[in-house]
Amino acid sequence: MNVHAASGDTWGIPGPTFLRLYLAAAAVLVALSVWHRLRRPASASDAVSGPLDPQQAAYLNGGPRLAVHAAVGGLRGAGAIGVGPDRRLLTTGPAPTGLTPLDQAVHWAAHQRARAGELPQDQRVRTALDQLRAGLEQRGLLLSHQRRTAARHWALGLVGLLAIGGYRFFTGLSNGRPVGYLMLAMFAVLAAVLVLWRVPDRTRAGRAALRDLRRQHTHLAPASSPAFATYGAAGAAMGVALYGTASLWALDPGFAEQAEIQRQAASGSGWSSGGTSGDGGGSSCSGGSSCGGGGGCGGGGGCGG
Amino acid sequence: MTGAPPPAGNGPRAAVDRAGDPTTGRLAQRQAELVAALVAGGPPPAGFAPGPLAATRAALLRKRAGEVARHWPLLAAGLGAGWPSTFADWAANRPTVGSLRDGWDLARALRERGALPPAGAEELVAREVVLRYDGRSTPRPRRLPAVARAGGAVAAQIAGRVRLLRPAPRPPAALPAGGDGVPDAAGSAAWISD
Amino acid sequence: MTGPYGVGIGWRPEIAGFVAELPGLRFVEVVAESVPATGPLPPGLAQLRERALTVVPHGVRLSLGGAEPVDPARVAHLAAVAQRVDAPLVSEHIAFVRAGGLEAGHLLPLPRSREAVDAVCANVARAQADLPVPIALEPIAALVDWPDDELDEADFLTEILDRTGALLLLDVANVHANARNRGTDPLALLDRLPLERVGYVHVAGGAERGGFYHDTHTDPVPPAVLELVGALCARRRPPALLLERDGDYPPAAELRAELDALAAAANFPAVT
Repeated sequence: MNVHAASGDTWGIPGPTFLRLYLAAAAVLVALSVWHRLRRPASASDAVSGPLDPQQAAYLNGGPRLAVHAAVGGLRGAGAIGVGPDRRLLTTGPAPTGLTPLDQAVHWAAHQRARAGELPQDQRVRTALDQLRAGLEQRGLLLSHQRRTAARHWALGLVGLLAIGGYRFFTGLSNGRPVGYLMLAMFAVLAAVLVLWRVPDRTRAGRAALRDLRRQHTHLAPASSPAFATYGAAGAAMGVALYGTASLWALDPGFAEQAEIQRQAASGSGWSSGGTSGDGGGSSCSGGSSCGGGGGCGGGGGCGG
Repeated sequence: MTGAPPPAGNGPRAAVDRAGDPTTGRLAQRQAELVAALVAGGPPPAGFAPGPLAATRAALLRKRAGEVARHWPLLAAGLGAGWPSTFADWAANRPTVGSLRDGWDLARALRERGALPPAGAEELVAREVVLRYDGRSTPRPRRLPAVARAGGAVAAQIAGRVRLLRPAPRPPAALPAGGDGVPDAAGSAAWISD
Repeated sequence: MTGPYGVGIGWRPEIAGFVAELPGLRFVEVVAESVPATGPLPPGLAQLRERALTVVPHGVRLSLGGAEPVDPARVAHLAAVAQRVDAPLVSEHIAFVRAGGLEAGHLLPLPRSREAVDAVCANVARAQADLPVPIALEPIAALVDWPDDELDEADFLTEILDRTGALLLLDVANVHANARNRGTDPLALLDRLPLERVGYVHVAGGAERGGFYHDTHTDPVPPAVLELVGALCARRRPPALLLERDGDYPPAAELRAELDALAAAANFPAVT
């Protein structure tokens, strides 16, 4: 690059000086952006810690839709909701006690004969979901809209830098000044923008909380064919929260089928990987238990073990 | 259903061939006769009371149905109350080749008959794209991408990730009925009693 | 590595979360064929080992009663699992599960004949040679009786135990089932069995169906079986009782109630 501070310098600033300033500004913006992300949010006090309930876990893991499914799983587990021949939900009696606001909203919607797929649009359900989200934001597990926007501010600054660089690039180009290093610097800034523009919804604390929950509840993973009847309604809800609607299918396939519950896993596990579990086939070890295994399908026969 | 051949090469005759062994020959032969009578449609061995034999045969089928249902929950759930009898009819004279393959063979047989329930079809295609099963030996994992279809369901697998591209068609919902007092049509009673 | 003591429960992946939360639990049994010989232990099981619970591998497919020699690979697997979980003993059945190249998928009874005693003893000896720990043998419940029987149940079992030196894994539900289906007296059998050889005791649920009592392991433990536990303990209390449940798992409260009932019947401390 030409180092003469000749009058032909774009904007009267020599190339190397501009490059140095340009890269320094970019580094400062990247540093600020990273610091902003790593900083523990001031509102995340320990006063609102304590274990996450299944619906909070579900929201954290799969957003509003999975939170609704967790509520459906819990209510179905408690025997409080069913599904009619028209594939609309229904209630089997008055709402049980000890329900969360989201449970109550879903129960009410089921009473109004909503379809499972329409629940996230229901007014009461949406209000309850907003509450759920606010609670998670308060605990510093999810980023609020403002904080997401704030986190993007620095990336926006980098976009501004890109614009300045682009302007100088074309000016320099038209004046026949060398622009090779500037172009390289702009690529670096562009890469930083692309990385920093994506602000994940979950904070580091949120991801850690989810990891801990999965570790505590490995017994609810679909691979264990968990006995949801034993684990109860809370176990059913937590299974859906951590392992997706595959759990809803596992705990009550008849209900899930009739209510047209979407079958997807929340985190790469679940029904889609179910095919790999299997037994020794020809080697005659048909896996598992010494006996029985009625699994709710007509009960066992004589066992003798 | 009757007349299903036992898997090639290991029929009850194999034991009869070994009956020449002087030490355990008689016991081996008697045991083979009993197993064949219980799981492969063999004739009842001499001297056994028919009632207990039939009860044992039925208990075996119930137990197998439960084990296969654990490997094929959606197939079993799709057949609902008809699962135990559907399985027992199909399995009565077929010795087990393991729960995974038993369920797989049954699902394919139902597909050919056009009797595969939608959830079972989805379960079958999800298995077919992950494992390669020739109907005779242990299923092997697929390394290449695959697409499978059965009963209107289509699934694809790329690099181990499975996607259900098209769910199996369901019969249209019954006419909407309003208000309470609508029966729960889930096919499964409320199952947690506490 | 202590022997099983008190009230235990059969560990199954389906109820691993329930078993993990039983505060007083000292021992579990695990189906040996479901534990890999290498690689990681099932997560819930590893956790129990960390709590120093006694884990007893329970084989179901060795086919010790088969006329053919027991498969060395299956014995090797049982031995490996025993070592992995640091088991004080292992258990298997006096039964056969395959013959003539066919899998029965089920535990089938032996004829109570001299020939069968010889076959079992030979197979148990083969297994014992490769096992790092003692083996306990469990008599099964059977709906069919062989026409070839030469010995009665007590003589048949006692002879096998005497000749092999094995421990007895007595399944009280099986004693009940056989007595009920054969029309014999379960107490008379208890009186003639070598109860001092009992390593531990199985208790399980069952149901009446088609004129037979089926030892299903998927139904509640009936009162008659609990009474038999009491009668056994009145004669000689076994070191440990284990509840087997293999499917149709009930709500946690019902499982806990069954465990409590077992503890009460044998005057063991409650594990719940």
